[in-house]
Amino acid sequence: MLWSCVKTEQKKLRHSQLWLAFLVIPLLPAFMGAANYVNNLELLKSEWYSLWTQHSLFYANFFYAPLIALYCSYIWRVEHLNYNWNQLMTMPVPPAEIFLSKLLLAVRCTVALQLWMWVLFLIAGKTVGLPGLPDPQILLWLLRGSLGALAVTALQLALSMVIRSFAVPIALALLGSVAGLLASNGGFGLYWPYSLMLMGMNANKTDDMVSSFLGFGISTLVFTAAFTCFGILWLKRRDIRAA
Amino acid sequence: MKYIVETKDLSKSYRGKQVVRDVDLKVPKGCVYGFMGPNGAGKSTTLKMLLGLVKAGSGEAAIAGKTMNQRNRLEILRKTGSLIESPSYYGHLTGRENLEIVRTLKQAPEKEVDQVLKLVRMERQQDKKAREYSLGMKQRLGLAAALIGRPELLILDEPTNGLDPSGIQEIRELICELPKRLGMTVLVSSHLLSEMDQMADYVGIINHGQLIFQDRLEALHEHSRSRLLLKVMNRTAALKLLEMRQIEGRVAEEGILIPELSDDRAAALVQALAEGGAGLYRVEERQKSLEDIFLSLTGRRASL
Repeated sequence: MLWSCVKTEQKKLRHSQLWLAFLVIPLLPAFMGAANYVNNLELLKSEWYSLWTQHSLFYANFFYAPLIALYCSYIWRVEHLNYNWNQLMTMPVPPAEIFLSKLLLAVRCTVALQLWMWVLFLIAGKTVGLPGLPDPQILLWLLRGSLGALAVTALQLALSMVIRSFAVPIALALLGSVAGLLASNGGFGLYWPYSLMLMGMNANKTDDMVSSFLGFGISTLVFTAAFTCFGILWLKRRDIRAA
Repeated sequence: MKYIVETKDLSKSYRGKQVVRDVDLKVPKGCVYGFMGPNGAGKSTTLKMLLGLVKAGSGEAAIAGKTMNQRNRLEILRKTGSLIESPSYYGHLTGRENLEIVRTLKQAPEKEVDQVLKLVRMERQQDKKAREYSLGMKQRLGLAAALIGRPELLILDEPTNGLDPSGIQEIRELICELPKRLGMTVLVSSHLLSEMDQMADYVGIINHGQLIFQDRLEALHEHSRSRLLLKVMNRTAALKLLEMRQIEGRVAEEGILIPELSDDRAAALVQALAEGGAGLYRVEERQKSLEDIFLSLTGRRASL
């Protein structure tokens, strides 16, 4: 049943121009990162790793969470419009499957976004004339960022479900990631969901920000589970207001 | 199981205001049940409680013998189709894609999409985006979606709201057909009594959250005792003659209204009025319309 739910969720996103935003918006942090790298060559000596610090600086802090938020807002927007809540909640589908199928779609998007960022990283590196290929470790950081982003994805999905506005959850995501930068710099990264993806990606750092994968994993898991449970319970308990 | 929908003391309050109060709905299987009441009387809230969209404040609702709760919810929803408030649709998808979504979630056979499209007569518009549909088309799309999965019970909330007369007629015909053709029970709400007169077998009337009438439609009609309207040239003389015969006459704008009389008494009265100089020139039979009954039923409660 979860599978047919995912399939229908996918159908609901058809004919949307959303992919265009996900294709174009990441060009911005990639370009900004590359420009920063070129302008600070005297400080940045570790080639691909140095480029990564700049590439991830803008992307992880100001773009990744809002992009996830954009996707989550779109996923719920189709339900907020045209009394679709009534239909959604009168289908013989458990609330958990509704939330999880939407979450799965959003997670797929966060991974795809990371892979696209990796491609842009390669292109940027080659354009600024870096030799060879980057260490595969960087790809692993990106994917670890996706793992950290699970918490944010679940949170944004819950926010966009509860908040009918399209833009407010996206603004919250931006605020959340700026706060996430402060939290991770202050050493509280594991206690703030928006920090986890920065840490996972090793944003703007050359040493690994994730000192213990166990702590990172547990924090991600706890936040993701908490937000997902909240989302499902909300669907179960609340009276539905379609308009 | 005699009733497909049965509620007991169903109530709901919003912020201290009771919008549905101790409603005992009884919808017999296989009928068209008209659920009537003025706007804001609690129709939508009641229907939403039947579907679990709104949680009952107190009391309970049973559909097809199963109490609506978290455990039975999905089983009940599998047996029901519904159209609540306004039609739900994904505007950026075509009519057909919208129905495909419902079909997948209801796990109905693939051919049902074509069947319901045919039933609501929208095969030709199926590939148009739903947001480009007229309200009537959206309403039909909503009805088609509700029919997918061959539900035992169809719950339709004001399905003719906002439609033009031909659209109303079309939806009405569909609703009348369904129980016969597909063996469904239809619970349909409306604030228009004339509409129910043409579709419903049973009616329930709700006002200020309370069910004030529930019976067969004929029973409602029986409330409409007919009366006689006398048109006379001289009202004073006529009233005097009525008084002598101990017939209660009420002066209305068009004439004098009296209770219905047996044929011989009526004949005698007509003769007396003619001979007594009342100047009787017309006797008409006046049926109290359903609207009048509705008004008197709801109006009386409203003044309490």
